Amino acid sequence: MEFLSFVIFLIIATVLGVVLMLISNFLGQKKKIVRTNDVYESGVNPVGSATRQYDIKFYLTAILFLLFDVEIVFLLPWALAYNNTQNTGFMVAGFVFFMVVLLVGYIFVINSKSLKWEE
Amino acid sequence: MLEGILEILIKTVVILGIPLGALPIIIHVERRGAGFIQRRLGPNRVGPFGLLQPLADVAKFMFKEEVHPTHVRPFFYSLAPLVALTVALLPLACIPIMAPLEINGRTIYPEVFRSDMGIFYAFAVSALGSYGILLGGWASNNKFSMLGALRACAQMVSYELSLSTSIVAMIFLYGTNDIHLMVAAQTGYWFGFLPKWGFFIQPLAAMLFLVGIFAESNRLPFDLAEGESEIVAGYHLEYSSMKFAIFFMAEYIHMIALSALFIILFFGGYSILPGLDLIPQSPIITPILQMGSLIFKIAFMIWFFVWVRWTLPRFRYDQLMDIGWQRLLPLGIINLIATVLITYFRNQ
Repeated sequence: MEFLSFVIFLIIATVLGVVLMLISNFLGQKKKIVRTNDVYESGVNPVGSATRQYDIKFYLTAILFLLFDVEIVFLLPWALAYNNTQNTGFMVAGFVFFMVVLLVGYIFVINSKSLKWEE
Repeated sequence: MLEGILEILIKTVVILGIPLGALPIIIHVERRGAGFIQRRLGPNRVGPFGLLQPLADVAKFMFKEEVHPTHVRPFFYSLAPLVALTVALLPLACIPIMAPLEINGRTIYPEVFRSDMGIFYAFAVSALGSYGILLGGWASNNKFSMLGALRACAQMVSYELSLSTSIVAMIFLYGTNDIHLMVAAQTGYWFGFLPKWGFFIQPLAAMLFLVGIFAESNRLPFDLAEGESEIVAGYHLEYSSMKFAIFFMAEYIHMIALSALFIILFFGGYSILPGLDLIPQSPIITPILQMGSLIFKIAFMIWFFVWVRWTLPRFRYDQLMDIGWQRLLPLGIINLIATVLITYFRNQ
């Protein structure tokens, strides 16, 4: 039943989006001039394609985000399990070890300057 | 079974109806608030106090020409606004607007998607918000759009880390994932006057979370995705008419959903505001007061968004990434470690 409610909500939200998107297809004006479908780059004719090379920093940020986010996601079930266990000392020791590893990785990343945006 | 489906449908319509109905009001408040802060009038011509201005804007969007530029990737170009709006609406499914109701011995939950993993679900789907933006920017096949989308994604993922650390700290302290139990833990008072809100036990986590939701919803001072002076409009540059309006709506709904989560974690969710609980409670008055309290708190958060928008200037991009990775993330990790160690040694 819970899952069904989610599916119904998803379907209604999607239908709402589709209806809103189609409205101006029916109501909007349809007078096209020669320039209507051109690329908008501040009125200047575009130079080259948009799929050119971008800064490597964007890619590095995404990769590092994956690493750190996975580690933080591991902590969420840990935080829940901590409150349902008697052996809290063991849990905290594991947590501290995990955070030390995380911090060593973090310091390495900062020292490697892969997140330094300004030259 | 049929009764259950009817119940879900009613709840869905209410949960979707409140934010969508409030959107024109929020946009109006934003524009009038801008006028108020900058000592000018703002829109005041259409209807009394300009209240009909948002409706006029919607009508204008509907009657605008739908432009499909020839250089875009057509399928993804149309898919992107849909993804943005749907994903922005999804977190609302698990946000309760009042405590569970007891009617004829049956417990009725006010949220559509009842789950004891409510907070996990909400953050999982609200993190999907970057897909609509990235898809829109990439499919537009325009340099400004592509840059805007890349910037938006890098920014959203960077601030999500410090946001997640503050969530871990709060889940650790509440010991639960269930939104109703979290709110129950925040009901009541310390010393008879200070509400038991999460903000007072974790102020640093609350600040990290607050900065995080500004960055996640691409609002000033973190609106580099749309920096007008640099990349014209960013990811929605090539969109027109209702498609543009949908991106706009998605941004505001994302703001509402994230504010609601902020309030659930740090300001007691639907727990009744101090002062209002002096009113004698009854099975009819209490849900109304709870709903009113939640809506008041969210409305205040929205006003806070507007207030900050017209107060602070925009960051430079390298400053933005430095704050996210080199200031907020270590602060979040240290806050988490301190929280865990203090809790552990206090219970020994």
